[in-house]
Amino acid sequence: MELRPPIVIASGVGGMGEYLKLIDPRYIGAYTLKTITFKPRLGNPPPRLIATERYLINSIGLENIGVEKFIEELENGLYEELFRKVKVIFSFAGEDFEEYLKVAEKMAPYQDRFVAFECNFSCPNVHFNPLSDTNQLKKMLIELRKKLDVFLIAKLGIEGAFIEQVARLVEECGWNGVTVINTIRALHINGETLIKGGISGPVLKPIALRAVYEVRNRTNLYIIASGGIMNETDAQDFFKVGANAVSIGTALYRDPEIVERIAKKFL
Amino acid sequence: MENFSLSRCELIQLSEDTFIVTFNERIDFEPTQFIMIETETSIVRKPFGLGRWNDRLAIGVQVIGPGTAYMVQQEKLYAHGPCGRGFVPPEGRGAVIATLACLPMVFDLQERYNCDVLIGSVDEPWIEVPFPLVVGDEAFLKMLQSLNGYDWFLVIGSDQMEKIAYDALKNKGEVFVSFNEYMACGIGACRGCAKVTKHGLKHLCIDGPVLRGEEVWN
Ligand SMILES: Cc1cc2nc3c(=O)[nH]c(=O)nc-3n(C[C@H](O)[C@H](O)[C@H](O)COP(=O)(O)OP(=O)(O)OC[C@H]3O[C@@H](n4cnc5c(N)ncnc54)[C@H](O)[C@@H]3O)c2cc1C
Ligand SMILES: Cc1cc2nc3c(=O)[nH]c(=O)nc-3n(C[C@H](O)[C@H](O)[C@H](O)COP(=O)(O)O)c2cc1C
Ligand code: FES
Repeated sequence: MELRPPIVIASGVGGMGEYLKLIDPRYIGAYTLKTITFKPRLGNPPPRLIATERYLINSIGLENIGVEKFIEELENGLYEELFRKVKVIFSFAGEDFEEYLKVAEKMAPYQDRFVAFECNFSCPNVHFNPLSDTNQLKKMLIELRKKLDVFLIAKLGIEGAFIEQVARLVEECGWNGVTVINTIRALHINGETLIKGGISGPVLKPIALRAVYEVRNRTNLYIIASGGIMNETDAQDFFKVGANAVSIGTALYRDPEIVERIAKKFL
Repeated sequence: MENFSLSRCELIQLSEDTFIVTFNERIDFEPTQFIMIETETSIVRKPFGLGRWNDRLAIGVQVIGPGTAYMVQQEKLYAHGPCGRGFVPPEGRGAVIATLACLPMVFDLQERYNCDVLIGSVDEPWIEVPFPLVVGDEAFLKMLQSLNGYDWFLVIGSDQMEKIAYDALKNKGEVFVSFNEYMACGIGACRGCAKVTKHGLKHLCIDGPVLRGEEVWN
């Protein structure tokens, strides 16, 4: 996969393409869509967000319309403008191993439209963690590889297993890349309210850097670095430890123009 | 929808903690639309309702934390917008009930729609307010009870003030409420501003911020 610039809009942060209203598409290497699951999901009850200077905690809970409705929208041309303007990565997940396969089956006929499929194995806001059962995970990785010809990326978090070991497995099963890392489970106390969710933003950077470093040392996979990339220096650091592309997530919420500034440095 | 910077023209203090900031720039917006403003104190931008004051683009700011304090100190602000749906009143006679920080918003609204405006404030304002004003909780409640002969109401303020107003007005006309949900993107991407309504989940930054009160409350 060749991304120019090597900049990806992070799944979920960029929704279903909304940031094209605020970012010039020339500066986006690929736009990852919000994770789509087999069944529609309402997501978690509000409050869903809390932010400080150093982090954002979100408890969105994979709110999405489900794969059938997504395909309907795809066929009705809802994303035509997005496809015309940028390369698009399809992100998907399931509430169990079976559902991952079902989404892949439904989406297989449309895979040519996307530059890659990203399989989200690491959402901290759902109760299923595929990384904690390596045997099942391996079976699924093999099955998914059989079903899809597209450039296949596993989005890995750091909870459940050592990330470099999972990344090795991903490579052995014939996948092409990994996105490293996702948000990590965290909790914020706001008066009487406890907000549980996944943490993102600058606090993630050292953790994500280490993860990219370890994965690069163990695999030849295409690595999209994700976690706390807020500016040009952060991006540079991730390239130094072996990332092939950087993913911009929470930084969009502080200033969408950051994408252009980073892109100009790495075009 | 655009990214832009705003340079401060005037800072007008309305009370101990509430200010109006007017800007040199002009942007087109509809009533109750808002912009997302960057601060150094949070990783996400913060929503502020757009309005007009002294013939200029303006926002009202109630300082309640580090971001709002930052905002009234800055000469230049970075933002994107306008976000949200513009409020279009239904037919008939209407009244807008708002807090002091909403003065620029309701000033603009009244000029466009010729509705009545009533301001409720916790403290006595430092400047003369060009609308009927009540100070304190008791006076606010009395004012709500005395409102009659309107077809619709729009309530803009804190969560608590909005609920009190809704309960007092719901049997007197159609009550619209500008809801306050935590926002990160302001453009429908993050799904963070979800509000559970009787008609399913709504996202306040694109479906709102104004909803019918009865969609959310009984
Ligand atoms: C659609 C909309 C329009 C608004 N318009 C105005 C306005 O015109 N004038 C005004 O004074 N205030 C307005 N607010 C509220 C304003 O955004 C918050 O008061 C401000 O973000 C507080 O920031 P802080 O750093 O000072 O406080 P903090 O200490 O960070 O937070 C205090 C409280 O402010 C609210 N808040 C903080 N961050 C956000 C956020 N990103 N999104 C939503 N709420 C947040 C939360 O309830 C929080 O508990 C509006 C809110 C919404 C949703
Ligand atoms: C509001 C929000 C929603 C997210 N939704 C998803 C999602 O649906 N799928 C996914 O793989 N990652 C999701 N993420 C994780 C991001 O894609 C990214 O990996 C993470 O936020 C770390 O990067 P950052 O620090 O640059 O934000 C979400 C993050 C946020 C803040
Ligand atoms: S604030 Fe992001 S969807 Fe509304």
